[in-house]
Amino acid sequence: MRGGDDAEPHARVAWPTAPASGPCRGGAPIDPVLEVDGISKRFGELQAVDSVTFRVAPGETYGLLGPNGAGKSTCISMIAALLTPDAGTIRVLGQEMTTSSTAGRAQIGLVPQEVAVYPDLTARENLRFFGRLYDITGGALNTRVDQILDVIGLTERADDRSSEFSGGMNRRLNIGIGLLHQPQLLILDEPTVGVDPQSRNAILDSVEQLSAEGMAVLYTTHYMEEAERLCDRIGIIDAGKLKAEGTRRELTTSVGERDRVQVGVSGSLEPALDAVRHLDGVTSASTTDDGITLITDDAGPILARVLDAITGAGGSVTTVEVSQPDLEAVFLHLTGKALRD
Amino acid sequence: MSNTGKVWAVGAMNSRRFLRERSNLFFAFVFPLALILIIGLQFGGDAAPRLGVVDPGGDIAGIVSEQLAAAQLDITIVRSDDAGSLVERVESTDLDAAIVFPPDLDDTIARGDEATIGFTTANTTAGQQLATLVDDILARALAVPTVEQLAVERGADPAQAAAAAARLEPTLARIEVATVTTGDRLFPSDIEGYDVAAPSTLVLFVFVNGLAGSYALIQSRQLGISSRMMSTPTSVRSIIFGEALGRLSIGLIQGGYILLATLVVFGVNWGDPLGATIILVMVAAVSAGASMCFGVLFSNPEQASGIGVVVALGFGALGGAMMPIELFSDTLETIARFTPHFWAIDAFAELVRHDASITDIGTQLGVLGLFAVGFLLFAAWRMRIVLTRPGRA
Ligand SMILES: Nc1ncnc2c1ncn2[C@@H]1O[C@H](COP(=O)(O)OP(=O)(O)OP(=O)(O)O)[C@@H](O)[C@H]1O
Ligand SMILES: [Mg+2]
Repeated sequence: MRGGDDAEPHARVAWPTAPASGPCRGGAPIDPVLEVDGISKRFGELQAVDSVTFRVAPGETYGLLGPNGAGKSTCISMIAALLTPDAGTIRVLGQEMTTSSTAGRAQIGLVPQEVAVYPDLTARENLRFFGRLYDITGGALNTRVDQILDVIGLTERADDRSSEFSGGMNRRLNIGIGLLHQPQLLILDEPTVGVDPQSRNAILDSVEQLSAEGMAVLYTTHYMEEAERLCDRIGIIDAGKLKAEGTRRELTTSVGERDRVQVGVSGSLEPALDAVRHLDGVTSASTTDDGITLITDDAGPILARVLDAITGAGGSVTTVEVSQPDLEAVFLHLTGKALRD
Repeated sequence: MSNTGKVWAVGAMNSRRFLRERSNLFFAFVFPLALILIIGLQFGGDAAPRLGVVDPGGDIAGIVSEQLAAAQLDITIVRSDDAGSLVERVESTDLDAAIVFPPDLDDTIARGDEATIGFTTANTTAGQQLATLVDDILARALAVPTVEQLAVERGADPAQAAAAAARLEPTLARIEVATVTTGDRLFPSDIEGYDVAAPSTLVLFVFVNGLAGSYALIQSRQLGISSRMMSTPTSVRSIIFGEALGRLSIGLIQGGYILLATLVVFGVNWGDPLGATIILVMVAAVSAGASMCFGVLFSNPEQASGIGVVVALGFGALGGAMMPIELFSDTLETIARFTPHFWAIDAFAELVRHDASITDIGTQLGVLGLFAVGFLLFAAWRMRIVLTRPGRA
């Protein structure tokens, strides 16, 4: 998948590239799975969420990235209709979400930030119970519960009480419950907090898997790496406000951050520098001790031409290193503070 | 799934969780039966019959007392000047019978006037025994020869005494022993200690466990499970009904178990089965409602559970679930009427003592119904607010 330091960050086509212009694919408009329109929530003096607007398209993984207390969970609660917004509207597949209507709820699978399972019930019993609340009954319920147990890797422990589970196992069960009814939109609120690296990887893998199967995912996190790895688009939220949103690249370029390409060159550097300096897409180029450094908006598409130009100018390329600005830098730029406190 | 299906799902989940907890099982199933056994043994023990006597002095009273002391039956005699209090103690089965001699018995009889000796007996085996014995002794004490002998002992000329006795003869019939069988609130004479202990223990423990279980609702909220349920396509109403159904089934399971176990193990007489079942349903419903109220009023599960148990025990004591209501003063008895326990125990007692059926316990069932509806409506109203207000996500 799209590792943060991969030289090939666009292995997956980010969608939509222009969120403001309305989602389109092949010209035909695609209705978003989730439409959040100017939602706000105030707790006493505290404006926890302030006019947040975003859309999640079918099959898209949208990340809400923000530090503790940014308002992520509050947004999630409003989207899941557990909390009534002071202002704004939320639609899931066109259905308005209100605390009094249950229609839209059938389309979402909420995985709350805190593990919400009965500790004195077994994994299977927890799944069966919520399965029934998600309108799954009879044989279908049994089949589905077995499938989920398999997906979350708890088949062996299905009949143990969740109080006997490790933190990671409970997190997986917590996620499994949200998947029972194959929702159109899976909402994961910081699902990897307090989880060992192995479980964390398993969780990220399954989110990728689900996304690949076409499920839309709304994913909140304060881990930049997770947002970078999983999300097609990212909304940066701080102090209740959505500061910016877009693909990772859009975000980094929007704040003026650029890719840096360092090419190790043996041989004469000056001709090589001349050859690349005027290439399309190269913002600036300079020589270093053992090669050339380029600044570019997007290293991916120009890399091959850069290398060709250098070899064409008689240089021989020894190493290539692409470093992309990360979301940390974007966050710092947007909020003046580090993502993690 | 239909709403009903979800209500059942929530209800079943609650009972499942309850039955899974070991300490619940002990307090719900083992402890009450042990208590019934202990109380039953105590009540049912063959202690000496206790007879209250109001004896203002006099020869006839003296003779009766002597004879009672000499009787084969080992009797504990409790003397008092207050006829009223003795009768009350008989009513509460603290005494098995009471005999009240009028102050001027000897003179009245001597004058040939009508005299009444009050005899009150409880509807217990010992009470019946005492009744027979006292009847017998009185008959002998009042017999003509005794009267004659009395006269002689007083220094009368034996011939005169005999004449007087002969004259007295017709008046003897006019000495009346007014035997009142009391214990209207009590049970038929074949009452066993278990019959007293079982219904009150059932009522007490359905409430104790019901209120102790109020923690479950709060725990569901704290664990975020209530919110999670709300995020599924399940209406608040279904969740509330489901939780109530869960509490109700726990009460029914526990009460039903006590009812059946005491029936089988101790042979407790519960009276009309339909009536007993309906009382049980009502008790479970009131307990479920009270439990839900605690669950929505408290936000700390340990607190709700702890205070719940104390309240359940307190109301149990006030409502006559720990001590027979007949021992209560009038004020306390009035207070007792404000507890559901009073009406439930009264209804159970009614079934047994008058062979009553449901129609005879309409009042009790009605009051219990009001309690249940009141508690459940309040809890549902609060719960809707609690479930839909912003919780810490
Ligand atoms: N029910 C509530 N009452 C009062 N304040 C609240 C409530 N819920 C959240 N807040 C406050 O609103 C702000 C946003 O909280 P929220 O839980 O949405 O943040 P978050 O982004 O999810 O943080 P975290 O990463 O720690 O989960 C915080 O300052 C929080 O203290
Ligand atoms: Mg949060």
